[in-house]
Amino acid sequence: MITVTNFSKQYKGFTAVKDLSFSVEPGQILGLVGPNGAGKTTTLRALCGIIPPTAGQLLVAGHDIVEEPIEAKQNIGYIPDDPRLFDTMTVWEHLAFTAAAYKLSDFEQTAEALLESFELTHKRDTLVHNLSRGMRQKVAIACAFLHDPKVILFDEPLTGLDPQGIRGIQQAIRERAQAGAAIIISSHLLSLFENLCTHIMVLSLGECRRIGTMSDVVSEVGQTDSSSALEEAYFSLTQQKEKGEA
Amino acid sequence: MDSALLRLLMMRLRGGLRMRLMQLKSLRGLLFFLAFGGIVWLLVVANSSALNPEFLNNGALDRQALSPQIRTFMPLAMLGMSLLTVVLTTGPTFHFSPTEINFLFTGPFRRRDLILYKFSAYVAGVTLSSALITPFAQAQTGSALSAFVASLLTLTFVQLNSAVIGMAGQALEGSRFARYRWPAIALLFTAAVATALYAWVTPDRSVFDLLTEFRHSWIGTIILIPYIVFAELFVAPSLFPHLALWACIAVLINAVLLYVAIKLDALTTDRALKENARQSDRWERIKQGGSFWATQRTEVRSIRRAPLLGGLGPIAFRQTLNAARNSFKVIAVFIGMAACLGPLASAFGVPVTDSRALTMIYIFYGFILPRTLVCDFRGDLSRMEIYKTLPIAPWRICAGQLVAQVLLAYVIALTMIASILVFEDGVDTSVALMFAAFALPLTVLIYVVENTIHLLFPTKLVPMGRADFEFLGRSLVEFIAKTIVVLTAAAVSAGVGLATFTMIRTSLVLPGLASWVTLTLIGVLTLVVMQFAFRRFAVAETVD
Repeated sequence: MITVTNFSKQYKGFTAVKDLSFSVEPGQILGLVGPNGAGKTTTLRALCGIIPPTAGQLLVAGHDIVEEPIEAKQNIGYIPDDPRLFDTMTVWEHLAFTAAAYKLSDFEQTAEALLESFELTHKRDTLVHNLSRGMRQKVAIACAFLHDPKVILFDEPLTGLDPQGIRGIQQAIRERAQAGAAIIISSHLLSLFENLCTHIMVLSLGECRRIGTMSDVVSEVGQTDSSSALEEAYFSLTQQKEKGEA
Repeated sequence: MDSALLRLLMMRLRGGLRMRLMQLKSLRGLLFFLAFGGIVWLLVVANSSALNPEFLNNGALDRQALSPQIRTFMPLAMLGMSLLTVVLTTGPTFHFSPTEINFLFTGPFRRRDLILYKFSAYVAGVTLSSALITPFAQAQTGSALSAFVASLLTLTFVQLNSAVIGMAGQALEGSRFARYRWPAIALLFTAAVATALYAWVTPDRSVFDLLTEFRHSWIGTIILIPYIVFAELFVAPSLFPHLALWACIAVLINAVLLYVAIKLDALTTDRALKENARQSDRWERIKQGGSFWATQRTEVRSIRRAPLLGGLGPIAFRQTLNAARNSFKVIAVFIGMAACLGPLASAFGVPVTDSRALTMIYIFYGFILPRTLVCDFRGDLSRMEIYKTLPIAPWRICAGQLVAQVLLAYVIALTMIASILVFEDGVDTSVALMFAAFALPLTVLIYVVENTIHLLFPTKLVPMGRADFEFLGRSLVEFIAKTIVVLTAAAVSAGVGLATFTMIRTSLVLPGLASWVTLTLIGVLTLVVMQFAFRRFAVAETVD
């Protein structure tokens, strides 16, 4: 569903991502993990067509995001870390806007169901600038789910959410994956990956340090008394490189 | 004032100065600063040439001719501003930012000291504004010093006067006097309408005649006394004793107003906090491309569906809602101003074909309107990510962005044309229809250029403080670039029309049509450039 081949991105001489290759199949949830500046957001932004790649090929549902951007974007749902909604529009109007943009003729029923599942029904006519950050995050997710995308990209999906919201979003992500969506999540919350992800990719300084199933990555490092297995693996993989650089 | 607050003020001033100097360090900042300085210098030179004796025959530029008008109308205009503050209630009192509230309100400072701190900061800003106004005002006042003093004291008065009126209104809220507010406003409004109607039905007396009579009547003089002082600052014949005398009275008035503001502040602290929060929210929205006058309602009735129109619909839908909820009052004000064009031109006896009138109309339509009414890409800089992820072709997104903006501007243009048609002699329906036809492609062209420049060189829409010379320089450079494109397009269009006329020589319809088609084609071509600019627009490149 998602195939990334030799993807590189440079900004004015600085290499943000270098020669990255991976694929995500339907039903899989890939967790992107890495320190600040590792290239996680750049990878997600390139995949959904916000920034053009410097080199490489990014396929979404069989469509190249550079060559066939419209067809590729039809299949993507992207939730940024800081959702910038349209401040003069209500929650419902965001859904109506999304439906029109993705050419959905009968969206009302799905929209109602999404509002209900994210506990936004009573906020339907609220102008979004009056919502809390967590609520805005839920609106962005509802909009991204509305057209039932085959590929969903989350950048820090749990920022600003309350415990109920976190549980709800995690459940929604699982359900989408079970329904056949390929999902990529970028986050600093390692516990989120342990709860959700089927696969993990550790990025450091723009390069892939390790990619594999969750059990493979964790088993390589093993568990210590003081921290979780994934946390141990994360520090082991990212600090190896930093020590090498030093 | 508390010494710590004084120190804070000095550090903030130094920080502001440092920021301006840092702007100058970059090539772009330096170029825009030089552009701004150069244009101001040209204006000053042009303005000072008005003092040349050979120009003194021109009544509009003659100091002696302007002085009676300033004496008559400046106090009236200032009274009008005060009444507007009463109507709006929430005039600018002393606005504290959230940072100031967090740091200073919790600090060991007296409320009086905080007001003095804020007032001092305002005076510092006004000093700079006055220095900028001085070169333009000295032609009227006779010297740079008198122009500076008059501007400084008047601008300080405007702020203090608004603050005191606003605070008095807030202090009276809930008292028995509050119920008289709206009847009093209704009475004043009725009087204004009655005056306008009287002037309308009396051919030999205009509104200006009636206002002049009121200003020079004994009751008018009593009502306008404080405002007359500030008008006299601009028309004082000598620095000493005339200006010195009026300046002393003006300082006294400002001191009394400051004292009253401090006293009233104690009665309105809760309300002031609420107002500060509201003002801060508004400023945040302006920084995001919103409007100061945006709706402050929490909930509105949702529109159930957005139109498709092949991808154009949802974008136009977003911007239409943006205009309706963000800029409704701005649109109403602009339509009102456009409707006043004909009567004003008629009242001043200046035909709209006069070069000065045309320049004013172009500055209004090509600079002030696009800067104030923003419902396109320029207001969505922080939301470009959304547009980039949509499965809609870039040209459709660009066209969709322009629909609401162009139509609204066009409605304002049509209002101006209708106003001219009604009030201007010599403008018949056929000329008005021609103007209306050409106004549409011209409007498209203006906003396509505006958006293209913004997409190629994205920047903030609000200046960083009072003396953001880079912002001012950039605005002027953009305006000049836009004017060059518009004039070139108009020249090419006119050239095609002329060429067609020389070939046919029978009627003006076909040349006019050729000219219109040319202008429209140029508009479409620039849309292609705008689409290119959108495609290459780099959303803030986070490298996380």
